[in-house]
Amino acid sequence: MRAVVFDGVVLGLQFGLLGVGLTLVYGLAGVLNLAYGQLAVLGAVVAALRIDAGAPTIAAVLTGLAAAGAVALALDLTLMRPVYRRRGEDRVLLGLLLMLGVAFIIDGVLVWRYPIEALTLRIGGDPVDVLGTRMRTGSLLASAIALGVGAVLVVFLRYATAGKAVRSVIQDEEGAQLCGVSPARVRAFVFALSGVLAALVAVTRSMTSPVTVNAGIDFTILALIVAVVGGLGSVSGAFLAGVLLGVVNTVSAHYIGTYVTTIVLLGAAAVTIVLRPSGLLGAGRE
Amino acid sequence: MAMLDIAELSAGYLGEDVVHKVSLAVAEGEAVAVIGSNGAGKTTLFRAVCGLMRPSHGSVRLDGRPITRRRAHDIARGGLAYVPAERHLFPEMSVTENLDLGAYPKRPSPERRGLVLDLFPRLAERRRQRAGTLSGGEQQMLAVGRALMSNPRVLVLDEPTTGLAPKLAVDAYAALEALRGHGLTILVAEQQVPLALGFADRGYVLEDGHIQLQGTSAALAENPGVQQAYLGVA
Repeated sequence: MRAVVFDGVVLGLQFGLLGVGLTLVYGLAGVLNLAYGQLAVLGAVVAALRIDAGAPTIAAVLTGLAAAGAVALALDLTLMRPVYRRRGEDRVLLGLLLMLGVAFIIDGVLVWRYPIEALTLRIGGDPVDVLGTRMRTGSLLASAIALGVGAVLVVFLRYATAGKAVRSVIQDEEGAQLCGVSPARVRAFVFALSGVLAALVAVTRSMTSPVTVNAGIDFTILALIVAVVGGLGSVSGAFLAGVLLGVVNTVSAHYIGTYVTTIVLLGAAAVTIVLRPSGLLGAGRE
Repeated sequence: MAMLDIAELSAGYLGEDVVHKVSLAVAEGEAVAVIGSNGAGKTTLFRAVCGLMRPSHGSVRLDGRPITRRRAHDIARGGLAYVPAERHLFPEMSVTENLDLGAYPKRPSPERRGLVLDLFPRLAERRRQRAGTLSGGEQQMLAVGRALMSNPRVLVLDEPTTGLAPKLAVDAYAALEALRGHGLTILVAEQQVPLALGFADRGYVLEDGHIQLQGTSAALAENPGVQQAYLGVA
């Protein structure tokens, strides 16, 4: 049982990291980034191509992260412009549809150009004993990265002046403007950051299992579930939801069966949303 | 020269002007009121001045520099602090965090914070409380306090008494009075005309988006039209 829960936490930290980028962009800009998983895969494919070309792993991974961040930034500065001119439901709907289109385009291009590309990072070393459970080094490294990045993000949002500016736009865009915060700049920053985070999830994921070109949609759906359960706009919420769902996932896979895992996962998400419609934590509350 | 100079400003929604060629000026250290009933265009006028919407015509100058059509965050950094009637606080942040953001992008200075907390001791007591859980009066104090954190040259307030009980409305104007004592230039829109005229040096009467009347507060209070429409004198 303990090992199963442990696996769940490891998986959950990945879920959390996955939800973070999506939740921030939605909380901030009202854009549900349905191309989120495709950005993750894009980063992974770029990294894999660099590795194939003989680049050192670290450099290849950094290139992959930068590529995903750059594409996200470019989307924010171009395609999302008309979206930001709208308010409320109009904005959400247009943003969602445009990003869905982007998802298809990235998916299509990647599958067409690199149909068999996959990113696999082999993390060497023997399994390590953690509280009586043997953990693979890849899993541990992935968890450490997720925890580290999550902690840095929470501290940044809570204490840094720029982080407070991000939260101010999430909580009240007009109030933020009146304080001298430029929503456009904050959005561009967070959009780029979300691209980097998406790619980072693909990278850490590839430490335990290969990330293939068609993994985008799975990433997006998982990110959506995590973000909604955690409360759209909350980083700590995403991690909390990620870990809970991760444990639910492995426990149900172990005791009930892998084939119903998705159903159990969605069920858990649905129950949370019925009990707490705004998610576990509120937007911009770190 | 005027600290805030609004010349022939028109603004509205969906191509339809609500405010028509409004001109008004506020001298340095002066307190000026724009009075008018609900729907007269006071909010539209102020939103156009502070950059939250684009004016369709006219110009705005802050201390001689044109700020027309600049973005709201830019205007805020340039020294015009706007306190909207709906406050627009950050509900999930503490009182202190709200105040600190008022100083953005600079670091909040302790002297400035001290000044605000002296003006509103209530905020000092509630420092750690989330803004969303404050009472209406406290939220109003916080909105004004946040605006003051940037050390603005002009403070523009839209209906600061919105949603306040009569006693709190009087308190709000007492605080503005204290700020004027510090030499701050203030422009305020108000429906509660006696309060506004009791506070301001001069006033403008806005009706249907046009300035109908202007003058010293004393002169406006004596004006039969103003008395009948806004002061409840038959």
